[in-house]
Amino acid sequence: MSEQVISGDQARLERAYRRILTWYPRSFRRDNEDEILAVLLDTAAEGQVRVGLAEAWDLVRGGLRMRLWPAVPRPRTVRAAVKLMLAGAAAELATVITVLVTSGAVRAAVAARHPSVVHAVMAHEVIDLVAAPVAIGVWLWLAWANGKGEDWGRVLGAACFGLLSLTMLGDLTQHAATYAPASMIAAAIEWAIGLASVLLIFTPAAGRYYRPQLVQQ
Amino acid sequence: MQEATFLILTALADGSQHGYGIITEVQQISGGRVKLRAGTLYTALDRLRADGLIGVDREEIVEGRLRRYYRLTPAGTKVLADEAARLHANATAALRRLNPGLAGGVA
Repeated sequence: MSEQVISGDQARLERAYRRILTWYPRSFRRDNEDEILAVLLDTAAEGQVRVGLAEAWDLVRGGLRMRLWPAVPRPRTVRAAVKLMLAGAAAELATVITVLVTSGAVRAAVAARHPSVVHAVMAHEVIDLVAAPVAIGVWLWLAWANGKGEDWGRVLGAACFGLLSLTMLGDLTQHAATYAPASMIAAAIEWAIGLASVLLIFTPAAGRYYRPQLVQQ
Repeated sequence: MQEATFLILTALADGSQHGYGIITEVQQISGGRVKLRAGTLYTALDRLRADGLIGVDREEIVEGRLRRYYRLTPAGTKVLADEAARLHANATAALRRLNPGLAGGVA
């Protein structure tokens, strides 16, 4: 009888611990959940059915730390790429500020030579401004995913760089360099940052970080 | 090196231990002062494994539960030895300055 009560309590405590362990990265749980659970149950007081506050906080803090600062050391190339991606977000911000500041001058330059396309240029500006927060978000997202060594982050990074390149080419064919030189320079800096970060995440050293299990086998 | 990390490595210095064993060893080594919680322990073990200072020695199933034993790697042994020597040198210097006569006599 008492045996049954104890196992019932333990099952409840085990469920409570498992819930808290969802704070940990999935890869860690797959390898370590049963092991850490055994330790937790070993250290639990007799008849304990709830997780103590200090204990819960200790577990949550560990989970957050593992998610935010993964233990696998990042190779220098990936660390540099992450910094560049953060710089990319800053460059996008600089680009959009440049577009705003030079907007009047650009419109005047277009109006003087090709008055018929002024509206098209203004529409282009509006698109730039709307797209900017999205682009900044994507840069930050890429920095986060690549810092964690997500392989899809690498692929997404390359795809975004392709898109950025196409946008640049599009702007060049519309003679943006003539009418909006400042915006074009800012965009070119952003493009160069994109190129450098994509090259860095596809180096062999970075590859071992993104796909450790493939290299080990 | 953080004290918890130092104590975990010390707990493994004379043989492999499983998670619960490390907790009790650390408590004993620190004279009951440091009581590691599971979250702290496993965050530290995860990092030490990634850094190549410890490795998995073996796994056992005890009462239906997984028990994984950890051991120091040669790199871990060296890091612990270096850190112990550093702490020892610092402690010796501190004691010598605090008690010039005493430490001088012993040396």
